[in-house]
Amino acid sequence: MNYCNLITIFAFINLLVSIPHGYSNYVETKAGQFFSSGHTNNWAVLVCTSRFWFNYRHVANTLSVYRSVKRLGIPDSHIVLMLADDMACNYRNPKPATVFSHKNMELNVYGDDVEVDYRGYEVTVENFLRVLTGRLPPSTPRSKRLLSDDRSNILIYLTGHGGNGFLKFQDSEEISNMELADAFEQMWQKRRYNELLFIIDTCQGASMYERFYSPNLMALASSQVGEDSLSHQPDLGIGVHLMDKYTFYLLEFLEEVHPASQANMNDLFKVCPQSQCVSTPGHRTDLFQRDPGSVLITDFFGSVRKVEITKDTINLTSPVEPPIKRSGSSDIQIESLTYVDQLPVAEIIHQKPKQKDWHPPDGFILGLWTLILLVFFQTYGIKHLKHIF
Amino acid sequence: MAAPLTLLLIVAVTIRAVLFRSSLAELISARVEVVSPLNAWKRVVEGLALLDLGVSPYSGDVFHETPLMIYLFHFTVDYAEIVFIVSAYFVDCLSCFLKPLDRAKMFRKQKYALESDRYSADCLELLRSPKEMFYIPLKVAMFYLLNPFTILSCVAKSTCGLNNAIIALFIFCTLKGSALLSGILLALATYQSIYPLTLFAPALLFFLQRLYIPVNLRRSSFWFFTLQYAFMYVGSLVVITGLSFFLLGSWDFIPSVYGFIFSVPDLTPNIGLFWYFFAEMFEHFRLFFSCVFQINVFFYTIPLSIKLKEHPVFLIFMQIAIISIFKSYPTVGDVALYMAFLPAWSHLYRFLRNIFLVSCVLLACSALFPVLWHLWIYAGSANSNFYYAITLLFNFGQILLVADYFYAYLRREHHLTHGLYLKKKDGTEATLVLK
Repeated sequence: MNYCNLITIFAFINLLVSIPHGYSNYVETKAGQFFSSGHTNNWAVLVCTSRFWFNYRHVANTLSVYRSVKRLGIPDSHIVLMLADDMACNYRNPKPATVFSHKNMELNVYGDDVEVDYRGYEVTVENFLRVLTGRLPPSTPRSKRLLSDDRSNILIYLTGHGGNGFLKFQDSEEISNMELADAFEQMWQKRRYNELLFIIDTCQGASMYERFYSPNLMALASSQVGEDSLSHQPDLGIGVHLMDKYTFYLLEFLEEVHPASQANMNDLFKVCPQSQCVSTPGHRTDLFQRDPGSVLITDFFGSVRKVEITKDTINLTSPVEPPIKRSGSSDIQIESLTYVDQLPVAEIIHQKPKQKDWHPPDGFILGLWTLILLVFFQTYGIKHLKHIF
Repeated sequence: MAAPLTLLLIVAVTIRAVLFRSSLAELISARVEVVSPLNAWKRVVEGLALLDLGVSPYSGDVFHETPLMIYLFHFTVDYAEIVFIVSAYFVDCLSCFLKPLDRAKMFRKQKYALESDRYSADCLELLRSPKEMFYIPLKVAMFYLLNPFTILSCVAKSTCGLNNAIIALFIFCTLKGSALLSGILLALATYQSIYPLTLFAPALLFFLQRLYIPVNLRRSSFWFFTLQYAFMYVGSLVVITGLSFFLLGSWDFIPSVYGFIFSVPDLTPNIGLFWYFFAEMFEHFRLFFSCVFQINVFFYTIPLSIKLKEHPVFLIFMQIAIISIFKSYPTVGDVALYMAFLPAWSHLYRFLRNIFLVSCVLLACSALFPVLWHLWIYAGSANSNFYYAITLLFNFGQILLVADYFYAYLRREHHLTHGLYLKKKDGTEATLVLK
């Protein structure tokens, strides 16, 4: 009997001892995951490219994504909002200072605290590309810059009128899918993003992500090549279509996301199936390193900070884990991407050989002075030599 | 004579030293009237810096000095100011020393002419006496050293001062009678800028006169001496050019220096006549006009030599004046050189007709140059026409000056042989007109 008690007490004590040990192990693994998640800050670039009153829905699209992104935590300082026209204060707007998403006017996506960074005619292809690549003149204010770094997750949302391989800006110019792909490559080379989510809601939107070739890009589009993206419903009071179908259902989906939700990208891919959207939304994840199922919506749409409170000290001995290998393709070995050696420092600070000053050749000096002496003695006669020597 | 000269030298040194150390020095070095692309000090420094970097100084259109200048400045670039002051002294000392040389010969000639009745009887007042000529050397020195143009040119460290020194040395050696030195120095002057080539004729005439060889194209003695002198000149030119080749090891300097002088590619405004024309002319006329303008410099040599073959010293003066008016990149330093010789012809004063006009024009233009430059470049309320108008007027004044002296000289010669008070055939007073 005593023996049994001893054993149970012993086991109990073991259990008690091992629980904190197990707990600290758990904390250390969590800490390992904490530092391997990849991104530390979030940015969003939301662009509406069309102007004129009848393109009300594009502005509403952009504003609804803006609203969601802001609601989920990305501050205005990290959002670059580009609206090509002002619908809220348009003289044709019967409900001024509002932009509605639904004909029941239940959601005013304009709100009270919209900060538009590029407005009106400032929304051009050049400005958009300059924002992405960061090559802005020194006088540009911070609010107009995309100050991302290599640990930023960026959401880029484009909407407007588009076609096979292009997106129209302001009814006068267009950006091609190759330009966009090159811009993203520039961003990658300059380490301006960690992961990038690209969403486009235009006709034949899938053509815009066909040419991407930089790593860590995930793209979604509202329609495939050859299909048109359709608008949702017109509002007879306002007189125009208020929103596009894809973004409408995207907004519906995002309204249910909150900062702590664990919804992942696979759910996002299911937004607006063909039955609802008429067009077939497409997505592209082959350039993305992680499994889309493990990517949270809030990784891109929100600014979720990872905070773990612990009362124990943690020894961080292991380095950051490399990204988790994709479960799908095991035969392709993707090596973890590291910094390229951009500045060959060793070559820069090697000592230059000291320059020697130029000196006239000795033969020249000799010849010149011999001539001068010859002329002198020729002119003044040999008889002077007697007096010199 | 020595004391006033020393005083003059001290005053000149003081003025130049004060200006060198003041803030005006940079201002003056940048003025286009004082420096030209051929002789700017900035370009000399640039050329030497390029050489230190291992690049040919003639690469890029910056440096247009001759290699011997590179050699000189390589050793004296830190003492440049002293070099320029010394070269200025060279000029005036030589100018003032050549006067006595000329004097003795001239007095002798006068005496012979008087005695042989070649001069008419009533021209005694035209003859030059030692007394009046005593102070001419000092005046010449003063005219050069204290001339504002010379001071500006020296403070700007323009190598025009060195060119002037070489020409003055050449005149000195010519008047001294040493044909070899004269040939060598003329070659050096030609090597620096091509225009002193025209001084070959007056120097030749002087030597012929000195050696009593008549200037007759059919005489063999004439050709003999001409060939000798030409050989010395051309030979030394070849030697100097060869030496320049050996200094830098390439022939780069020929298109950079001589090609530059002839083809006038740099159209920075200066006090010359080339820049405005060439700025507005069409490309396919450029060759034609540059030929015309360059021939204009050399063109006056033959007619003037024929007219002034007995007066080679005056011919030298005329030639220098013509060079400094019509050369492709003149500066005020070139103007100062021939102005220094004006006191030597002070006896012509009574025959000068336009001296007031000329002096007013020259003074006014010199004052207006910086004004109109400022109005054109800085204020923007004038344009290049204003500046060119003043340039034209300045050159016109110079030409008038030279023509006036020419007229006065010829008139004096005429009076010497035909009497001071000319009478027409019917006895009334006649006037003399230069045709």
